[in-house]
Amino acid sequence: MFIYNPRLYIVLTILAIVPSVSGDSSGRVQNDLLAFYNFSMTDGVLIKDSSNNGAPLNLVIDNLQNVKRSSGKLEVTGNAIIRSIKPATKISNAIKRSGEVTIEAWIQPNKIEQNGPARIMTISSDGTNRNITLGQDNGKYDVRIRTSQTNKNGLPSLSSKDRGFSLKLTHIVFTRKENGNENIYINGNLNSSRSIESDTENWNSSYRLALANELTEGRPWQGSYRAVAIYGVALSIKDIKRNYNAGLNFVDDRIDISAKLKARKEKFFDEEIVPILSKHCLECHDTLNRNGKLDLSKKSYAYSLENGDEVIIPGKSSESLLWEVVESDDMPDERESLTNSEKDLLRKWIDDGAVWTTEDIDPLAHTFDRRGKENWVRRLTVSEYIASVKSATGVDIGKMAVEVLPEDIRADGFSNTAYNLKVDLKHIDSYSILASAVVQKMDLIAFYKGYNKSLNLTDNSMRKFISQISRDFLRGNISDSELAAFRGVTTTVASAGGTLEEAIGLVIEAMLQSPRFIYKIENQIGDGDLWSVSEYELASRMSYIIWGESPDKKLLDRAASGELFSPNIMDEEIERMLLDSKAITRSIEFVKEWLNLNRLKNLSPNSELFKNWSSELGVDMMEETLAFFEEVAWNQKRPLSDLMNANVTFASPLLAKHYGFNVVNEDLLAKYDLSSVPERGGLLTHGSVLTIGGDEASMVTRGLFVLHDLFRSGVKDPPPCVDTTPVSTKIGLTQRSIAEQRVANKSCGGCHSKFEPLAYGLEIYDGIGAFNLRDEHGNALRQDGEVLFPGEAKSIPYKTSKELMNLLSSSDRISQCLTWKIAQFALGRPLGQPDALALENIHNEAKKGGGTYSSVIKAIIKSDLVKKIKTEEANEE
Amino acid sequence: MKSKQIDRRIMLKGLGSVCIGLPLLEEMISPPKTHGAIKDIPIRAFNVFFGLGIPSLLQKEGYEGVLEPLKPLKNKLLIMRDVDQVRCDVSGTNAHFDGATGSFTAMPAGGEAKAGGPSIDQLVKHAYHPNGMPADMVPTLIGGTYFRRSRVGRYLHSYNLDGTVAGIMQEKPRDLFDRVFGFVNVGDVVDSRKRRLKRSVLDSVINQYKYFKGANSPLGSASKTRVSEHLERIREYELRAFELKTKNENTPQRPPRSKILHGGQADPGGQGVDISLKELTNEWRLMAELYALSIKMDRVRFGSITFLAAGERIRLSGDYYYNDRKVFEFNDSRQLNAGGDQGCSHEWWHKFNENKPNSQLRAHAHMKMREVAYFLSLLDAEIESNGKTILENSMITISTESGDGRHNDAKRELSGVFHAITSANGRFKTGHILDVAEEGIDVYNTMVHALGSKKRLGPNSREFRQINSILS
Repeated sequence: MFIYNPRLYIVLTILAIVPSVSGDSSGRVQNDLLAFYNFSMTDGVLIKDSSNNGAPLNLVIDNLQNVKRSSGKLEVTGNAIIRSIKPATKISNAIKRSGEVTIEAWIQPNKIEQNGPARIMTISSDGTNRNITLGQDNGKYDVRIRTSQTNKNGLPSLSSKDRGFSLKLTHIVFTRKENGNENIYINGNLNSSRSIESDTENWNSSYRLALANELTEGRPWQGSYRAVAIYGVALSIKDIKRNYNAGLNFVDDRIDISAKLKARKEKFFDEEIVPILSKHCLECHDTLNRNGKLDLSKKSYAYSLENGDEVIIPGKSSESLLWEVVESDDMPDERESLTNSEKDLLRKWIDDGAVWTTEDIDPLAHTFDRRGKENWVRRLTVSEYIASVKSATGVDIGKMAVEVLPEDIRADGFSNTAYNLKVDLKHIDSYSILASAVVQKMDLIAFYKGYNKSLNLTDNSMRKFISQISRDFLRGNISDSELAAFRGVTTTVASAGGTLEEAIGLVIEAMLQSPRFIYKIENQIGDGDLWSVSEYELASRMSYIIWGESPDKKLLDRAASGELFSPNIMDEEIERMLLDSKAITRSIEFVKEWLNLNRLKNLSPNSELFKNWSSELGVDMMEETLAFFEEVAWNQKRPLSDLMNANVTFASPLLAKHYGFNVVNEDLLAKYDLSSVPERGGLLTHGSVLTIGGDEASMVTRGLFVLHDLFRSGVKDPPPCVDTTPVSTKIGLTQRSIAEQRVANKSCGGCHSKFEPLAYGLEIYDGIGAFNLRDEHGNALRQDGEVLFPGEAKSIPYKTSKELMNLLSSSDRISQCLTWKIAQFALGRPLGQPDALALENIHNEAKKGGGTYSSVIKAIIKSDLVKKIKTEEANEE
Repeated sequence: MKSKQIDRRIMLKGLGSVCIGLPLLEEMISPPKTHGAIKDIPIRAFNVFFGLGIPSLLQKEGYEGVLEPLKPLKNKLLIMRDVDQVRCDVSGTNAHFDGATGSFTAMPAGGEAKAGGPSIDQLVKHAYHPNGMPADMVPTLIGGTYFRRSRVGRYLHSYNLDGTVAGIMQEKPRDLFDRVFGFVNVGDVVDSRKRRLKRSVLDSVINQYKYFKGANSPLGSASKTRVSEHLERIREYELRAFELKTKNENTPQRPPRSKILHGGQADPGGQGVDISLKELTNEWRLMAELYALSIKMDRVRFGSITFLAAGERIRLSGDYYYNDRKVFEFNDSRQLNAGGDQGCSHEWWHKFNENKPNSQLRAHAHMKMREVAYFLSLLDAEIESNGKTILENSMITISTESGDGRHNDAKRELSGVFHAITSANGRFKTGHILDVAEEGIDVYNTMVHALGSKKRLGPNSREFRQINSILS
């Protein structure tokens, strides 16, 4: 017997429509979500925006008597309006910038006969001025959106086809892509679409968001809301189906809030507490020294002393020993006390739960303020400019560009550091000169025909040409206003009686000087948190990281299709790009920068000490290191840590003689197997690296190089009043014995023991990297020593230089450091503690891939460091 | 040593150089009409940096010691001793870098090419020209003669409000000349149709930069600053390329090519270079003359000039005379009995010993003061409408990286850092040697405050402390 039960009927109805009512709620798309309403509250006038994106855009219900609320549902039964408390600026501004939008709603209309259209959701001011409105017009859904091709009322609108409408619970989605493609999806299926090239720059940021009516009322809609979501991008069909399949079980707001809170606490630790610990505590309380048996440099040891006594009690500063000694200025011992504001931060951290992120604190956190507060747009470096011009036009302008463009200056170890990529008058002049030179080298008509067959200098024809080439030149779509700027050039040519060829050439000149070409332009405006980059921005990031140039057509096509974030597609593209020789060229550029190899071109050691030196030898040393890297990283595809001990090298005849090899080829850079050459093998045995120590083969300089550039660590200033004058060698006194005296000295040893023993194994190489068993005074040289890896308490002894290289190669620390260095070069900015957690994950991922260069690059690209951008809060007008 | 000074009259006559060069712009060699350089005394601020410093103990000897070359200008200078720059210390680096980057900013460095805040010249510039300089002026002129270049902070001394460098360093006299007076060639200048087409390209580019600078830009604040600077440079380019007319007769010529080492060759792996005193001072004096000329012609009002970098590594040779008196015979390498970095004059600072004569260090420091005085005296030769010289009317700050070259006590190294300032048109006391005994940040803040800047160096929360003893 069938018994009618209304509640059961509703559930069954939902089950029939929604494939997965209890679907994977975590599967909903979260990226670029601007506002989200799931109607979880059961009473009151407030409806909360639970997008967790920026300041919430909460709504209030007028005419509460015409609304029924229950958990997860809001039914409008009569004339009502639900409006945002403040203008929907965060939504409107984001969509103005992106040119893309998605409106998603789970709704159930109460009746078919509603029109006007009846407002389901609107961002508008009144009946004739709107940014966007989703409405019901009897048996159709209707979307009005303001663009450069519609009027202020969003007309003409896009309507759904009749077949999609029903009075059942419905999942309706409207998307608009930057290129003007608009679609309506009903229950995960495409229902209606149109395409009009346009932009959304004319959206008004002062309009409010409303449900169930127009802001000025008069267009009521009746029915039930289960969810309304607004995204700042056009979701792909995959994402729409994902949301549809995820059903109605939305993530509990509290979980998101808790995750966000945790992230804030982690950020607080990385940005505020680590610099304090580094500056005031780690000199004595690191793993090596552990004064008072306390190690504050590691998460696993920091909370208690070796005997188990608690030092930091999360949530209780008043009971924490750390706070007690800091507050009373008992600590730091014989050093400057913490300032009051530093103390406040420390106490707040403990009281808020003393959250700690990575296992080890970034050892360089104290050097500079690396909190990454600023986002600098990156200008193309000289080499990126040359490669990008070639990629866009096919013209190699390299020689001329190197001559006329000012050199990029190294800062923080690399010359692509964004904050330092300034422009001066000479850049402007050079970009103009180079653009003209490029155009002169092009077959303009042939180039044009690749985009447009119509050889007419008409506005339509040029508009089409500009629209098409702009994607390839400027790495994405351009707005109408930018298009207009380029069209200004072609109309000037036309009005001056110019030719098509002239117009093409001048458009290309303008594009090569455009900010979108000269800089890697990305959206940096949001709510202050991490946002996903756009598909085109991701394509650009991938391309510059892997190739050092703009994305090719295939990658741009992937971005245009909205597939690039898909893990499989991304893998496929990364693999494809890594197989291209341009990836090798880029990696070589990294090595040159990392080891500052260009300095070898200018090296001029003391000619009296080094009579065999020549400038050619310096260049050959650089070539050795670059060929060695290519062999290990690309030909043999070995882990990067093998750079420390690989038994192979490449030498010119000149360098081979310098190293004492039997020359195998009198003309070329030849490959040498070093299996039976114990004194050579690995980067640290290359002349290119050994010359870092200067004429005196300084153990201090070489040791500091290993500490800084291979271990990513550092030391502090020498203590007051020690004699820092370098001591020269003499009979009976070698560099090693001088270094040992410093290490043994109580005042110096604390720091020097961290780096000088790293260079003990290199004493057998003189200032220009030649191998010797005795120095110029006849003193016997040693190669035994010990390595203290940062974060470790005990040194590891070695007997020979070869053993040192093997120890370094087996060290995870070296691999970590290489990951950091490659990531810094990839991102174009110094890295700090706030990046440490992401880098730890990248390092672990890369290890799974064998620790090769390719695996590191892949892990970097797939990380949030590349897929996301830290946004800045928009100034709300 | 005698050097033929370039002055404005020589420039106008086109004398004194050997190369055929770029034509100057007529407007650029005429006194400007728009900025009131003649009628109203403009606000100007320049930083003069010299490398390696003067140990604070030697400063105590006043004009009888290494400061002797400044004596002829003593009534126009305030020598400030005992200025404390300890807050500029960056852990793990010595004063060559952190002291140098902190000179004129009084804050610890923010990166290898980034100061911890603005330099004083830029604070003053921002107070008077918050929207940038007119397109016919160089916004900030940065030049100098130096060799050591491992980190930008060692040699560049003008920093924007965000701590990034305020301009590109001009290290060759000819480059500095081109930066200030150069003409931009846009091709066929006589074909007006072609110029019109070229102009449309530039207009298109300008419109795009305006968009990225504007309210709807997708860029954050730091990036907007960068594209704004780019747009300013385009405006400058636009002016030189399209709006000013060239003068064809009496065209002065560019200075000759530099004969000393530049770029990577000037700093071969930190090992130092050999140079004679004559080579060094010939290059520097030409640079100083061109810089001074740029100020006199009101093409620049803010910037910095460097005579030798922080921690400079040169092996200097040659007889050093002052007022026809032989002061010393430089021969660093021989006197140190070493080559490479160990044979550089830098070592005299490491070896400073208060119980010894320190003759070599004294001679080097004396020579540096002679060359700084050379630049200052060029500015003292031009009298403005108020009867005072440019030197007196400008805020010129002379400083360096440390008050002691020994690297074993960061506090001592960054204490007692030499400073001298000019009166800035009567704002500061001159004609004195003061033992200020204050922090550099308070001295600098007093200076920029006196010049009308509302912004301060250091954290916003730091209370402003005016150092009255330096005010007139």
